[in-house]
Amino acid sequence: MTGGDIQALSVRSLRSGYGRGGDIIRGVDLDQAPETILAVIGPNGSGKSSFVKTLAGLLDVRSGHVMVTGRDVTAETPAKRVAAGLAYVPQEANVFPSLTIGENLKLATEFLRGRAGVGPEQRQRVLELFPEIAARLRTRAGDLSGGQRQMLAFASALLANPEVLLLDEPSAGLSPKIVGQTMEAIVRVREAGVTVLLVEQNVAAALRIADEAVVLVAGQISLRARAAEVGASDLAELFFAKVA
Amino acid sequence: MAVQLFFNGLVTGLLIALPALALTLIFGVLKFANFAVGSMVTLGAYAAWVANVRLGLPLSASAAIAAVTVAAAGVASDQLVFERLRERGSISLLVASMGVSLIIENVCRFAFGNASRGFDVAPSRPIRWQGIRINQEQITTAAVVLVCLVLVDALLRFSPLGRAMRAVADNASLAAVRGVERRTVARLTWALVGALLGVAGVLSGLDRAIDPLIGWNYQIPIFAAAILGGLGSPLGAIAGALVIGVAEEMSALVIPTNYRQVVSFAVILALLLFRANGLFGAKAARR
Ligand SMILES: Nc1ncnc2c1ncn2[C@@H]1O[C@H](COP(=O)(O)OP(=O)(O)O)[C@@H](O)[C@H]1O
Ligand SMILES: [Mg+2]
Repeated sequence: MTGGDIQALSVRSLRSGYGRGGDIIRGVDLDQAPETILAVIGPNGSGKSSFVKTLAGLLDVRSGHVMVTGRDVTAETPAKRVAAGLAYVPQEANVFPSLTIGENLKLATEFLRGRAGVGPEQRQRVLELFPEIAARLRTRAGDLSGGQRQMLAFASALLANPEVLLLDEPSAGLSPKIVGQTMEAIVRVREAGVTVLLVEQNVAAALRIADEAVVLVAGQISLRARAAEVGASDLAELFFAKVA
Repeated sequence: MAVQLFFNGLVTGLLIALPALALTLIFGVLKFANFAVGSMVTLGAYAAWVANVRLGLPLSASAAIAAVTVAAAGVASDQLVFERLRERGSISLLVASMGVSLIIENVCRFAFGNASRGFDVAPSRPIRWQGIRINQEQITTAAVVLVCLVLVDALLRFSPLGRAMRAVADNASLAAVRGVERRTVARLTWALVGALLGVAGVLSGLDRAIDPLIGWNYQIPIFAAAILGGLGSPLGAIAGALVIGVAEEMSALVIPTNYRQVVSFAVILALLLFRANGLFGAKAARR
């Protein structure tokens, strides 16, 4: 993080919430350097999903700003944010169940014609990462297992050739073996130059691959540290915060 | 007699299939029951009547004009009304569509009065086939509807717009983060639905006199067909329309013809009581 470099993701004094309810995200400031993995951890209900939803444009920003590679996308629609390089894999319902795998993948790019690097070559590269998906293009996504569905969601997001990838609990509900594969895939994606913001309940798995971690408690960042330095004592603090 | 009624029922069913499909598409993509289907059918009938009788155009060209007119009305109603209420939920949208329905009906009444009108078409003699009487209008209706259904099916299955519509129906926010602009898909869906309703208007004008309530006559059967097919399911709506059409015509065997609307009411009531997802629609309930 040398001074003057453009951050991949920049969040300033962000506040958001649902409908007429109170703020769920209550003033978050965050910078993420390009090509890093940042883990976002925190107790259940602390606002992790709401945070990434706000970044993706699905939850209205009440105040503050979101910038992707230096470009302010706060006023953009979710679709325009994808075109600006911000892709998102939701925690659940992250594929179109009544569409086939092939249709899911096609849909992930055909409305992004303007975006650089989206096309057959990118598709080839992404499908090589997920051979299981690539072999079953005519299967309805609704018929996939949890792990395969997660792969399809991941692949769909990557097809947009994102600068920044938001992942909301990619390991939820997966067997330990598949979790390992998913984490490996995330590392490879980062090696390909993508900046990854990774929300995880599986703290150990997330910290193993992350460069840095932030702890989100009650809609605010309560701690930021290098992943290697977040130890058991900090986790205790995290769960203590949950009780508080 | 029964065979003749069955045949008439199939044609009536095909006529209802277009608006039932329109209703179910709006429900799938935009998640509300559009009460204005009937009035948009009426608008289509009048638009075609103006083109055909006032401007002297052939009926085919008049049908195209009707399709474009109602498509424009659908897009305008989305822009002026429905888009503003998109986040308010399906009840607000339903109530708003009742308002749109009243406005369209009364614009037609104001512009054309209450008198019955008809297209300028040469009368033709019905054909007899296997003891069934088939008139020219029935052949036209069946052919036009079947072509429309094939086109819509191809569009839904193979075109980017069709994929986007199905994706939005599945999960609108996921579609948004895959780059699909919801507003664009909504507008194009309204254009498609408007075109279908416009064509349905022309066909209903072949079937009966054009007056401000022409579309309203089909309102209950349209809803019955779409609900029977499981709201949101295009194939279900078509199947539902055929069932309703046949049931209405065949009811003449047991009840006086003036009461045939009772059939659709009874179907809706029975479905609401016993099978809220329709006969074919376990799918629609999942959403
Ligand atoms: N769709 C929603 N409508 C209203 N409130 C919500 C919605 N989703 C989440 N919330 C609320 O927002 C808070 C944060 O939830 P969430 O972002 O899902 O937390 P996390 O992902 O950290 O478990 C919770 O209090 C939850 O009740
Ligand atoms: Mg969550």
